[in-house]
Amino acid sequence: MRLCCRIPLATFELDVDASFDSRVTAIFGPSGSGKTTLLDAVAGLRDIATGEIEIGGKTLFSSARKINLSPQRRNIGYVPQEGALFPHLSVRRNILFGAERIVHAAGAKGIGMEHVLEILEIAHLLARPVTKLSGGEAQRVALARAILSRPQLLLLDEPLAALDIGLKEKILPYLARVRDEFAIPMIYVTHNVTEVLTLADWVLVIRGGRLLAQGAPKETLTSGRAVREIPEEQLENVFTVTFMESDKAAGRSRVRLSSGAEIFVPYLAQADRPTFQIRVSADDILVGIQRPEGISAGNILPGTVRAIDLIDDQALVSVDAGEDFCVRLTSGAVTRLALDVGCPVFLIIKTRSFRLL
Amino acid sequence: MILSFETWQITLFSISVGLASTLLILPFGIALAWLFARKEWPLKSVIETAVLLPLVMPPVSTGLILLKIFGRRSPLGQWLYERGIEIVFNWKGVLIAMSVMSFPLLVRSVRTSFAEVNLRLEQIAATLGASPLRIFFVVTIPLAYKGIVAGALLAFSRALGEFGATILLAGNIPGQTQTLSLAIYNYVQLGKDSEAYTMLGITVGLAFLFVWCSEWLLRAERKN
Repeated sequence: MRLCCRIPLATFELDVDASFDSRVTAIFGPSGSGKTTLLDAVAGLRDIATGEIEIGGKTLFSSARKINLSPQRRNIGYVPQEGALFPHLSVRRNILFGAERIVHAAGAKGIGMEHVLEILEIAHLLARPVTKLSGGEAQRVALARAILSRPQLLLLDEPLAALDIGLKEKILPYLARVRDEFAIPMIYVTHNVTEVLTLADWVLVIRGGRLLAQGAPKETLTSGRAVREIPEEQLENVFTVTFMESDKAAGRSRVRLSSGAEIFVPYLAQADRPTFQIRVSADDILVGIQRPEGISAGNILPGTVRAIDLIDDQALVSVDAGEDFCVRLTSGAVTRLALDVGCPVFLIIKTRSFRLL
Repeated sequence: MILSFETWQITLFSISVGLASTLLILPFGIALAWLFARKEWPLKSVIETAVLLPLVMPPVSTGLILLKIFGRRSPLGQWLYERGIEIVFNWKGVLIAMSVMSFPLLVRSVRTSFAEVNLRLEQIAATLGASPLRIFFVVTIPLAYKGIVAGALLAFSRALGEFGATILLAGNIPGQTQTLSLAIYNYVQLGKDSEAYTMLGITVGLAFLFVWCSEWLLRAERKN
């Protein structure tokens, strides 16, 4: 997909030029950086001064070639931030609103209503009026409506932003399921790092209408330029793990990273899926240059320093311990330990510092 | 109190021509209101002002303009006359006068309710493949219908109360062009107070009913 557009806005100009070929592309940046404008432009809901938008070899917009497909003909499913369900229609009629679209994405014929309802767990809501849905239910209905229009691309505009934290963690797995079950590429707008690391395989970092960085999420978000855009508390590591066993008495479960290393995470009774995701903040990882003895932390992982990024008074230390871990230290700690690229180190992580997604 | 045949006749005439005028202007009013609320086009503000003019101009002036337009000596009046259609001094004149005078009220009300429909919903409908026509009938109209009905009620009430433009264009001919308003004027002139008060009672009752319904609908719409 190629996304190149210039749109003059009231206070700045949105100017983005990116090409990517990924399942889920996150557009990451603070509010007011032009993310929603960009989605609107892709969906054909907003005029573009100059540029070109191309999906799977099909041009949707090109100022040079004077192509500008109407939103109807772009075949793009859009879930806006507020869900935008039709308040006068039932959940069923909302969901089926786009189902009779004439142009379907190739290969999308296999998407059946039953399947979508099952994945999003909304079958029991069908007869309800839209006004009687909770925030999380409304988001899932909006998502189902977009998927059932069998689009060639799904645009999600901060689908979790309006939900409170507890609900966010419940909806996130639904989004991951949608990604895995339906072969629809997605563009996902967010200002939350966890969501990017959990869902996306490519990220565009934008600020003030400009593209600051793009690339694989983990490397991009922990590199010098993008890290300044990340809210202090959001610098995180996300890993996909395989469930091994649980020990209720000890209050912990054993899981395996894709590198083969095993770690302890807080107790979970039974994994409903064989693999799932966990996260740990870059501020909750200790670095030692010797293996520590007699401490409470459940995880001590040997590794090697791969890179050190000094940003103001902080140091982002990237450690290869089978998987790549990002650790945030003070610049003083780096000096004190005489850390350098290639140094052998130990990562010390409390069991309870891991959060399950 | 038993109403006389004449009173019934005048009341029914007023209501049926009023109703006809409202139905006549409804499609045009909705279309124009949508153009005002959703589109930008050259001379839009000029047209908007012109449509609202009958609301603020003395009705008699509007009546005079209509008389000049539809009178037999005007090109349009002449053209219509040659085809056997006469507007002036018959019920068609009443219909035209009522339509023109109530049109701005309808357009204003419908325009506001279109403007209150969340544009995002129409945009999302478009991304779901709905044609502009389908969006209009399945999204916009259902979400604005209370405002449309309220506007139609208001226009109908205004039509029933029409006096100035009607008397110039259609005259005040008993049994032919006499509406409730014209009849009240007539009875007062002739000193027939009790008949005038009967008519007064009917007009107050009808006006109250329609304005109340229209306000109730608008309140219900705002609550959504």
